[in-house]
Amino acid sequence: MQFRTASAISTGLHAAVLLWAVVSFTGTPFKSTPAQSLPVDLVSEKEFSQMTKGVKHAPKPVKKPKPVVEKIDKPKPEDLKAKITKKQKVKATVPKPEEKAAPPKPDPTAKEIKKQKKKTQKVVHNEPLPPRRPPIPHKKRPKFNPDKIAALLNRRDPQRHSITGAALNREPTLGAAKATAAHLSQSELDALRDRLIALWNPPVAMRNGERMRITIRIRFRRDGTLEIGPQVITHGSGPRFNALRDSAVRAVFLGQPYSMLKPKHYDIWKEIDFTFDTSQMYDDIATH
Amino acid sequence: MTDINRFAANPPGRMAMSRRHLLLAGAGAVAAFGTRPAGAVLHLDITQGTPRPMPIAITPFVAGSPDEAQTAQGVADVITNNLQRSGLFAPINPEAFIEKVTDTDRVPHFADWRAINAQGLVTGRVTRQSDGRLKAEFRLWDVFAGQQLDGKQYFTTPDNWRRIAHIVSDAIYQTLTGDKGYFDSRIVFVDETGPKNRRIKRLALMDQDGYGVRYLTDGHDLVLTPRFNPSTQEITYMSYGRGQPKVYLLNIETNQREVVGNFPGMSFAPRFSPDGQRVVMSLQQGPNANLFVMDLRSKQTTRLTDTPAIDTSPCYSPDGRFICFESDRGGTQQIYVMPAKGGAAQRISFGQGRHAGPVWSPRGDYIAFTGITGGQFSIGVLKPDGSGERILTEGFHNEGPTWAPNGRVIMFFSDNPGDAGPHLFTIDLSGRNKLKEPTPSFASDPAWSPLLS
Repeated sequence: MQFRTASAISTGLHAAVLLWAVVSFTGTPFKSTPAQSLPVDLVSEKEFSQMTKGVKHAPKPVKKPKPVVEKIDKPKPEDLKAKITKKQKVKATVPKPEEKAAPPKPDPTAKEIKKQKKKTQKVVHNEPLPPRRPPIPHKKRPKFNPDKIAALLNRRDPQRHSITGAALNREPTLGAAKATAAHLSQSELDALRDRLIALWNPPVAMRNGERMRITIRIRFRRDGTLEIGPQVITHGSGPRFNALRDSAVRAVFLGQPYSMLKPKHYDIWKEIDFTFDTSQMYDDIATH
Repeated sequence: MTDINRFAANPPGRMAMSRRHLLLAGAGAVAAFGTRPAGAVLHLDITQGTPRPMPIAITPFVAGSPDEAQTAQGVADVITNNLQRSGLFAPINPEAFIEKVTDTDRVPHFADWRAINAQGLVTGRVTRQSDGRLKAEFRLWDVFAGQQLDGKQYFTTPDNWRRIAHIVSDAIYQTLTGDKGYFDSRIVFVDETGPKNRRIKRLALMDQDGYGVRYLTDGHDLVLTPRFNPSTQEITYMSYGRGQPKVYLLNIETNQREVVGNFPGMSFAPRFSPDGQRVVMSLQQGPNANLFVMDLRSKQTTRLTDTPAIDTSPCYSPDGRFICFESDRGGTQQIYVMPAKGGAAQRISFGQGRHAGPVWSPRGDYIAFTGITGGQFSIGVLKPDGSGERILTEGFHNEGPTWAPNGRVIMFFSDNPGDAGPHLFTIDLSGRNKLKEPTPSFASDPAWSPLLS
């Protein structure tokens, strides 16, 4: 009987606790603050070289190129150097505070005492000390609080500013001493690829990520023209395949003569397999 | 149009060489100069191109006799206009042509065409047969490869020459782009005449390029939302006959007209199933509207949705398995997709503003819609799973998108505050090449037919 009462009490209490838990847990809604996202761009090695290689058809600067300027700066104040010298001159005419506090001339008796003392013991300087520097006002340094890193991060302005100057100048800097093109020379293959990219007009049916590739073998003459017609190595059929094949062959024909291929390397480039691949191709469909 | 013969479509030298691959391992790897093992072939991957309109020379077709001279010139003009309007080709001005083509059976002098930067060359001939029929033939040449890409001949009645020109345009389009064309097709639309407060609205039919306008109704009753049957030359539309708006079927060849079902309330927004056997539409029920499908043979009607909301503008996917529609069940007009037999619907539009009037592309890859944001009406597309939403054109009022048979071009109607009435426009799926469609007067509610051949 006692056991039953105990179990009844126990059950009742448990139920009460559970009920309380149910009620209280639903009482406060879960709050989550939206996390700030950090934009990240993935750049492939090739894209990086594209970005840093300069502009291909940049006009060669005749004289010393002007620096690139993206934004017109505020008008500059007068010459900074001149200002500094002026200030110094002003200082020179005003008696220096140190001179004011120059030590008074010691009297002869004292001199004698001093001489004597010098012989026996160390000189005790009686001269007044140079004026002390005014104490540096104690700046309250912000205490580092690890909980408020976000606040610290937000305080800064963006680090990348426009390159400012007196006048706008968007002239690309190929061949300029400071431009990257001088250091990143393009290989003949890159130039060849660029030529074909510029000439290949991919059929519209394949401009939306539809995977299709076709390999064409070209045999070149030493002067960079085609020795024989392009040989299509990939097998395929259907209007899409045919349109892709024809567009690729057209591009190869259009690119003649391939003057970027140097005759001294002829043995290497006399035969090249070109693979035209549409799998990474998207019309600007996706960018609107 | 009777028979279509093919000739010399496979000229010599076009066969792909069945040579063994001698590629270096790793197709993506580009061998650097100097490190290549002896005997191996250098390999270069081209994964990007520069899309641009292709320069093409369309020569005046050669006439078999002086009687056909006008037709021959007309065929070349229609082809030029079609290709130009597609935005994918840049026809070269005939005044720049160096070689004058007089014999279409001879190989052209390609150097003359290369000199004017033509990449494609179209030659052709129109002759009258002894039986009175017209024979039209064409050849498409690749100027730089020096090869024939396509060549066909067609026979037809002399008054049908425009269709021949459209069919030739489609053949050229497909050979050079890899996609089917859309030139041999028609548009049904609502022709609007008269002052704004007493507009006469007639159903009209015309070729895709705006020629051959024919009126299907007399303008007595108000007509709206005509839609083509995807498999036959039949249209369905909504009309205010006597009182209640009803959905009608109209055969454009016989001009036969019938009411679809005899429903108590208003029926509207009809559209055919891909097989043309059923019509899906909205029926008004009190303040709500629900979707119903009617089998045209058995006349049996099936309810698809049952919600206290307005479900309208239903449209089948091209495989017939799904229906997309517009509903305000979630508060505002949005696009939903459900199985064609009814069932749970899923909202797919989550972009800015409201989304109305969805239309599934014949290719199945996109759904076009009318977007409504802040008083602006835009035409946009999204993928059937709701991703990739893009607005193609924006403005005061753009509405009623309809797809070209190849799913690359969208036609819609648009008007501006200053305009006295709406006009039809076409735009590429990429959002470029917006062009006004020639119509006799104001026009709205276009519907593009399937390819005629």
